[in-house]
Amino acid sequence: MSAMRPYRRYPTTWRWTLVSLLVLAIAVAAAFPLVWMVLSSLKTPEESMQVPPVWWPGSPNLNAYTEVAGVVSLGRSFVNSAFIALVTTVAIVVTSLMAGYAFAKYRFKGRDWLFAILIATMFLPPIVTLIPLYRLTGYLGLNANLLGVVVPNLANAFGIFLMRQYIKGVPDDLIDAARVDGASEFLILFKIVAPSVLPAIAALTLFAFVYHWNSYLWPLTVLQGNTDQYPIVISLSRLLSYNRGAMNTGLVMAGATLAVLPPVILFVFLQRFFVDSIVATGVKG
Amino acid sequence: MTGRQTRSTIGMLAPATGLIAIFVLVPMVLTIGLSFTQWSTQTGFETASFVGLANFTDLFGPTSIGRDFRAAFGNTAIYTALSVALILPLSVVLGLLVHQTFAPGGIVLRTVLFSTYMVPMIAVALVWSKLYSPTEGPINQMLGWVGIPPQTWLSSPKTALVSIVILNVWQQVGYFTVLAVAGLTQIPRSLYEAALVDGASAWMQFWRITLPLLRNTLLFSAVIAVINAVQVFEPVALITQGGPVNSTNVMTYHIRRVGIERAQGGLGSAMAVTLMLSLIVVIVILFALLRDRGEQR
Repeated sequence: MSAMRPYRRYPTTWRWTLVSLLVLAIAVAAAFPLVWMVLSSLKTPEESMQVPPVWWPGSPNLNAYTEVAGVVSLGRSFVNSAFIALVTTVAIVVTSLMAGYAFAKYRFKGRDWLFAILIATMFLPPIVTLIPLYRLTGYLGLNANLLGVVVPNLANAFGIFLMRQYIKGVPDDLIDAARVDGASEFLILFKIVAPSVLPAIAALTLFAFVYHWNSYLWPLTVLQGNTDQYPIVISLSRLLSYNRGAMNTGLVMAGATLAVLPPVILFVFLQRFFVDSIVATGVKG
Repeated sequence: MTGRQTRSTIGMLAPATGLIAIFVLVPMVLTIGLSFTQWSTQTGFETASFVGLANFTDLFGPTSIGRDFRAAFGNTAIYTALSVALILPLSVVLGLLVHQTFAPGGIVLRTVLFSTYMVPMIAVALVWSKLYSPTEGPINQMLGWVGIPPQTWLSSPKTALVSIVILNVWQQVGYFTVLAVAGLTQIPRSLYEAALVDGASAWMQFWRITLPLLRNTLLFSAVIAVINAVQVFEPVALITQGGPVNSTNVMTYHIRRVGIERAQGGLGSAMAVTLMLSLIVVIVILFALLRDRGEQR
């Protein structure tokens, strides 16, 4: 661990030991539920039922992973989740770049007023608009369909806010020079502005992907029980009701492990940008 | 403004603004309008009939509609208060541990705490329902090692709501820790150096410098924590279905059950409006209590 900050030599005193142990203990405690999830997915059904619980699987095996695919249509759910998360993420990044650019670099009447209204929607819990939204997507013929999950989520205020914060820092000279050369505004946005706010794009990609991969309330409502269109998180919830006994624990844990993987893997790669963006929006905002 | 500028302004703003207007602002206005009507969610908006404040008098009246709503409202209030009371102090303590360079492991701790924030709430609920299991779960087993008797966790009305608060805090605290770290990095080092010269202890430095200067961060964290707390849905929908004995029936779950499953769109909208007004009141109070008034510095 000390290799991460090679410039620092840690003093070996009792205070150092105490703080180090505290950090370690909290990290272990925080990781425990996820470690337990993975370990349980490798246990035999008998081990899952044992009292008191067994911590370490005696003969680790992947049976639960092959079985879980037979209980719910796991492949289909994964494709549905990937579709939802990828389409919303790409759309949110594009719409947020465009609006963020306008709010950061254009002067127009009512700009601050419009921005304030958009930002206010960031603080609105989704349940407040759920009931009429469900009817609206019904009018648009989107209910019981994956498109109904995706279409209302192609833009969001947080993305606009994040992009505006970062694009403000792009020098005006850079943009003006391109305008003099006769570049169109869209060309300027995607060829000059976007490449200089890549950290914000990375952060927003992670935010949007994780949010929509994990999202449950809206898909559950709009899909109206059409199991073909279920994302992985809803299929997971059906696993639990499929068999309420402890027999099922391995299956549930295997399913949960699979569902957790895509957002966590993405996080490992993009973590740095995520943290920076929280600093940018939380403190300076 | 020239024509070209106007056109590109509209072009840039139209997609995001249009989508948010149609799918957030319009439903918001509709929720308020529908709250004064009797309307079945399964039928078109034109079937809504105006009933004045009848839905609201039901919510605060003596019938079972009012009793269930007030129970859900009370549970949400307790849930929110507990979440904020746990998350804010934890985020400061964990933030200090991540931020310090005195001992190793800060970045590792941040990574672990933050990765829990990436886990779908459904998976969190599933895993914790097994961890909490009175006989096969490791939590009661570990409590047994230190001589604490087994707890009922999700299966008793006395402990179910608190159990859901705990699993939610576990999932979310990493985000608030990063916010706290962001706040800590903004505090000038020179303040601590001056305090050292004056002979202030680390304890004094925390109360006199760190905490007061984290005020704005904590205000932001409190607002986000409150808004997140009223959205709790997955553990309730998945594990407890509002029980046992209505002890975990929270607003998001109750509004969806009334407004979507029972299709009482008008009544559900009135509940949503009440929730939103309450949120505004809470946020205004938080600002009044925590806002940096400037005269202290």
